[in-house]
Amino acid sequence: MPPILTYDGIKVTFGVLATVGLYSVLYRENKFYRFFEHLFLGLAAGWTLLTIWVENLKGPWWDLMVGVAPEKAGDPGGNGNWAYIILLPVGLMGYMVFSKKHNWMSRIPIGLILGLWSGQQIQIWYNTYGKQIAGTAQPIWPTTWSSLTVPNYDTLQLSPEALAAARSQVYLSQAITNFLFLMTVVCVLSYFLFSFDAKSKLVRSASGLGRYLLMIGFGAIFGSTVLMRFTLLIDRMYFIWIEWFNNVILNRS
Amino acid sequence: MEGNKTFGDVLQSLPKQVLYIILIVFTSVPLFFPVKVPNQPLESSIDLYANLMSVKPGETVLLASDWTNSTRGESLGQFNSVMRILMRRGVNAVIYSTGDPQAPRVAQDAIAKLNVERIAAKQPEYKRWENFVSVGFFSNGEATVNGMATSVRSSFNGKKDFAPGRGLTDVFESPILKGREKVADFPLLIVITGSKTSNITVERLSGKVPIAFAVTGVMGPETGNFYQSQQIVGFASGLKGLYDLEGLMEDGVNNPDKSGNVVVKSSKYGPIPGFPGEKNDGQGKRYYPTLHFAVGLLILAVIIGNVGMFLSRSGGRK
Amino acid sequence: MNLILQSKVVNFWAQPFNSQWLWTGVIGGLLFGILIFLGLMFMPAQFRRPVVAFSTFIGGAYWVLLYIFPAPIDMQKTELATGPVESVGKFLTDANPVVVSVSGTVTAFMLGLGIFSLLSIHLKRITRRQKDWAFSVVLLAALASMAFFGYADYISRQGPDGTKLDLQANWGFVNYGRDLLFDGLLQQMDAAMFSVIAFYILSAAYRAFRVRSVEATILLSTALLVMLSLMGAVAFVWNDAVRNMANGNDFLMNFQLTEIAGWIRRTFETSSLRGIAFGVGIGALAMGLRIWLSLERTGGGA
Repeated sequence: MPPILTYDGIKVTFGVLATVGLYSVLYRENKFYRFFEHLFLGLAAGWTLLTIWVENLKGPWWDLMVGVAPEKAGDPGGNGNWAYIILLPVGLMGYMVFSKKHNWMSRIPIGLILGLWSGQQIQIWYNTYGKQIAGTAQPIWPTTWSSLTVPNYDTLQLSPEALAAARSQVYLSQAITNFLFLMTVVCVLSYFLFSFDAKSKLVRSASGLGRYLLMIGFGAIFGSTVLMRFTLLIDRMYFIWIEWFNNVILNRS
Repeated sequence: MEGNKTFGDVLQSLPKQVLYIILIVFTSVPLFFPVKVPNQPLESSIDLYANLMSVKPGETVLLASDWTNSTRGESLGQFNSVMRILMRRGVNAVIYSTGDPQAPRVAQDAIAKLNVERIAAKQPEYKRWENFVSVGFFSNGEATVNGMATSVRSSFNGKKDFAPGRGLTDVFESPILKGREKVADFPLLIVITGSKTSNITVERLSGKVPIAFAVTGVMGPETGNFYQSQQIVGFASGLKGLYDLEGLMEDGVNNPDKSGNVVVKSSKYGPIPGFPGEKNDGQGKRYYPTLHFAVGLLILAVIIGNVGMFLSRSGGRK
Repeated sequence: MNLILQSKVVNFWAQPFNSQWLWTGVIGGLLFGILIFLGLMFMPAQFRRPVVAFSTFIGGAYWVLLYIFPAPIDMQKTELATGPVESVGKFLTDANPVVVSVSGTVTAFMLGLGIFSLLSIHLKRITRRQKDWAFSVVLLAALASMAFFGYADYISRQGPDGTKLDLQANWGFVNYGRDLLFDGLLQQMDAAMFSVIAFYILSAAYRAFRVRSVEATILLSTALLVMLSLMGAVAFVWNDAVRNMANGNDFLMNFQLTEIAGWIRRTFETSSLRGIAFGVGIGALAMGLRIWLSLERTGGGA
């Protein structure tokens, strides 16, 4: 049977049609694109609806509320904690956002979720930034002048103890690097924090330098984003040309 | 002459549809001519590989699979590489998702395809319940991961997976989760993501369990921040990270090949074997050479645009 | 610990599966919840803000208390707490699964808001025959199909032989339906939507990425360096040329592309992103405190 008539062939063909349909927007907005756009939204919404029940309400709420059926005759099964039912009216309060008169009630479950989030911010702050502050405060003065740059450990034939000792030293190049690292963090932070007019010339200079150093970070993000998006496009081209055209239409693997 | 376009203006006014067609050609044609590209893996990728290989067979790791087909180009390959390593080393996995409701299904479909590959290579199947459990999707990822910091059991409370012969059963009855209550009971937590769930994990669990990431390229620079402060033990970023992983799976680290050459050297580790003779390559090998052409086109487009701008300016001044 | 929402032994709050008392409790609790719902609807306006502030505060208070209150060390599940400090610490730790369950459940209900909104907009469009109503039919049909096949596939895997459906050879009609809709259509369209941006990036780079200022030059140079350094072929050619010129000189070996790019990445890129992260973190902390204590002037009125 030719691959195009097998289930896998039909499935890939549908996928290619949908992909080309969505790509047609690159030429201009058209009904073909709108059809697939709505199809996509509908499928995504349908899957979300399914997972809301299957993943998030059935196990963690419904089964805990009504209990679990016994696996075998004679087994007691799991007890149900009926008080979980109170979460239903609390959750449904969120739907009052559509009511003109009572939409304030939607702020109750939203407030609960926001409260949970904000409590976590206080809890996680040190866990997130504590180590980064320590990682920023690295030595800015060399501990050895035996070499200006870090030796190439891969080519040195050192015992593990000697290697560990060499690694623990701070060479001049490392000290300069650490200083530049610290300076960059301080300047970028001063750019963010001192958004009001600072009187001190030092602060103004640091903020100005921070602006330029920020561009390095943004350039890195832009470069990485470009690579990622191109990779996704290459994946789609592979899907169309190799998985469908080559394997299904031309029947070559 | 006024009203006439200068050469600089012409250079800057290529129609966008022409650009799109050129991009399609540049990202399609090289796919038909795969070549091996020389590569030096990044230190972060070597650390990720070393940590994956250090997990003992029979142990269970936590795996946050927070990607879907929207980032298939990078994430599927990363997932496949990580899962191949775990499968070959006999390491079990508890798979959960906090980023997207589609993610659990996508992960299970990927594992099913890897199992087809293993069966074809006469290797044992990576079985649900005995080798991995899928805990499912958590809509409030932040609260769930925060709960894991106190107790994994409490975060996965009420979650079920399919046990052979029993249907849906509490995941903590699975042999790979029995007796594991806290996050510290797991030797490693791996996050494969196309979104910020990696940040959410580090914020709440760093210091409690070794964490490793496989992230998309756009998250790479941010993730480097966590790596520098040693909040994570290693990471692979984007297609380059994936290509690194595939190469490391082939060559190992400090591992001499048949002719005695060591392809990947690192003074941080002793010899770490690869998996020569097995299927190690995938999307990395297929897409990485083509990416060179796409990036080259982008650089050319930027140069042409800027040359056009300079020529227009100097033409205008005359 | 026999907390209200996690008691394992039968008591007032926990009843056996499918028992009369369990359903009495569920219905009674639901009626109580409806009463509270109606009570809130008719609540005087001046009480609205305190009610919202209270729900926000309670949500945040748990995690803050869990963080700052001393937790009992190495306490066994069956061990009883001694003293008020240990009791409170054990209560907070034991309440963790309940809090995670509650937050997940409430969030799940709120996720349904998006679906509800989508349904109401498109149903209105169909019933009133507004512009492009046919596409709304497509959307709702796709939604219903995916929900049907997805749920049917889920149900088909419930039984003891559910794991056999991991192999395609054992699939039935509903399993094929789910796979075609999810993997064949949804996943491919998801990927296509994300990849379309690549075209816009190229077009934008060609038209708008101009070296007009110092900032733009720095941004462009860094982007080019990052992209080139991650291209293995380019790095190989550059590094090879440097190795040939260096001839074993360790200092000159630092001019390999991977070394230069790695140094810029470690020294400037990571540090500038860390500065941004610190700024964002301080802002998030301040915002978190303001939200938790309801200092944000969102108000409680309609």
